[in-house]
Amino acid sequence: MNAALEIECGGLEVARLGKIFPGRDKPVIAVEDVSFRVEPRQVCILLGPSGCGKSTILRMIAGLEQPSSGGISLNGNPVVGPHRERGMVFQGYTSFPWLTVRQNVAYGLRINGDAYALREGTVDHYLERVGLSRFADAWPHQLSGGMRQRVALARALATTPQLLLMDEPFGALDAETRWQMQELLLNVIRKERMTVVMVTHDVEEALLLGDQIVFLSSHPGRVRTILHPPFKSDDAICTRESLRAHSDYAPMERDILSMMREEGHNH
Amino acid sequence: MLQPIISPPPPEQPTTGPVAVASQAPAAPPALAVRRRWLEFKQPVSTSSKLLLGISAWILFLLGWHLAATSGTEANPLFPSPVDVSDSLWNLFAERGFHSDVLASLQRILISFGLAVAIAVPTGVLMGAFPAVEAFFSPLVSAFRYLPAPAFIPLLLMWLGTGDTQKIALLVLGVIWFLITLVCDTVKQTPVDFIETSRTLGGSRRTILWTVVVPSSLPGIVDTCRQMLAVSWTYLVIAEIVAATDGIGAMMMRARRFVHVDDIMAGILVIGALGLLCDLAFRGLHWLMFPYMRRR
Repeated sequence: MNAALEIECGGLEVARLGKIFPGRDKPVIAVEDVSFRVEPRQVCILLGPSGCGKSTILRMIAGLEQPSSGGISLNGNPVVGPHRERGMVFQGYTSFPWLTVRQNVAYGLRINGDAYALREGTVDHYLERVGLSRFADAWPHQLSGGMRQRVALARALATTPQLLLMDEPFGALDAETRWQMQELLLNVIRKERMTVVMVTHDVEEALLLGDQIVFLSSHPGRVRTILHPPFKSDDAICTRESLRAHSDYAPMERDILSMMREEGHNH
Repeated sequence: MLQPIISPPPPEQPTTGPVAVASQAPAAPPALAVRRRWLEFKQPVSTSSKLLLGISAWILFLLGWHLAATSGTEANPLFPSPVDVSDSLWNLFAERGFHSDVLASLQRILISFGLAVAIAVPTGVLMGAFPAVEAFFSPLVSAFRYLPAPAFIPLLLMWLGTGDTQKIALLVLGVIWFLITLVCDTVKQTPVDFIETSRTLGGSRRTILWTVVVPSSLPGIVDTCRQMLAVSWTYLVIAEIVAATDGIGAMMMRARRFVHVDDIMAGILVIGALGLLCDLAFRGLHWLMFPYMRRR
């Protein structure tokens, strides 16, 4: 592939992004002057307290919301609306209940008329990646919450997007399932070498999965600081235990938690 | 919003409960067994008990009717017993060609309901999917929904004459406004996450309509049709009372002229039975069409 070219001009560029919602009495500034870059194959985490506009930023990158100011570009092309080059996994369960697991994963390929990928076993490949091969013919309502999110992940990956967006994908899961899903996701994005932007308020999740953490402050959402945790690029770390055992983990977690607390006190 | 639904009458638990206990009472309850109580809040009832309770409600009803009708010294022609009604039902079908009336009524219901669905479902889907379409149609549909369909009978008689067209038009007018509104409401409940998921996967407007909005609301639409078909049956008699020569309703009006109360009651029974069959047919259709909604 043309990897050299991608490194030169590829990646996601978010420049001076702003979003103002028309409020009930006066307009509400949700996002103000947010800029950051995500290099190809890097995972960027948007972390911050509630009300920092992290989901709004993600939705603007997806093209589901229009920015009020500033701009976004992916691999040099400006983002103007939703496109299959930017797949998204939502917080709620979005597996279509009228389709089986396999049909759900194939959905994106089907609506794009991608007969080649459908024939060549792309669906089976991603079903296997997320560990759902045995459940290919099950209905979503027969699956647990974690499994449904794995369906959503496989469906978003199947159209081979250049950028994967995730909006607190494990927010609705119980703690045990969350850790499993985080480890699974880490494994998948390493193997598939995905570029990812993910919203979370879980500090541990951010440190495990992120190459870069954009920490946002709230009301209005602004970039407070950008961190570069070393854990995701360290192939020795692939479980929660090995993350916690790393000597850099505890101080970074402490710093972020104290920033979170400060943000909480400010409001 | 929901119109009356023709469905099997629910078993009247409070009245039949004690009777069922009596008929079920075991000869000698085993010692130490916890005594089962029949009236318990939210306690599920087994399928066999449910069936038993439902059937006993019907038996009690028919028994009560029979006793009331035969209690007098001489038979009252205005209040025939269930035996008389079943006799005349047999007589109607065997000797008086009642099946052609039933077929005429069925045909009217099927044609009119098919027309109503063919117009209302696409309209309702577009209204539910696109707020602009809803803003256009909604004031009109809401206004018509409050006009009683029978009020149009004089107009329909003048415009369409006394034939089948007039009756079918009345039946269509009776259900179409509710059908549109209910379909629209069902479609509006399509989760926005489903639509946005499809958009991020590259779905165009047309694709989202056909691969997300329609399949997501189809179970609700079929259910709505089932309920509105029941309303269609209630309008049938009204349609067939006016200037009709055939149909179940026309037969009942003829019987009224000769004080054949047993025939009228037989007609009611046939309408009820046909309504119930339609309901069951729709339930079966629902079960066949939506395998993912069958519970384990």
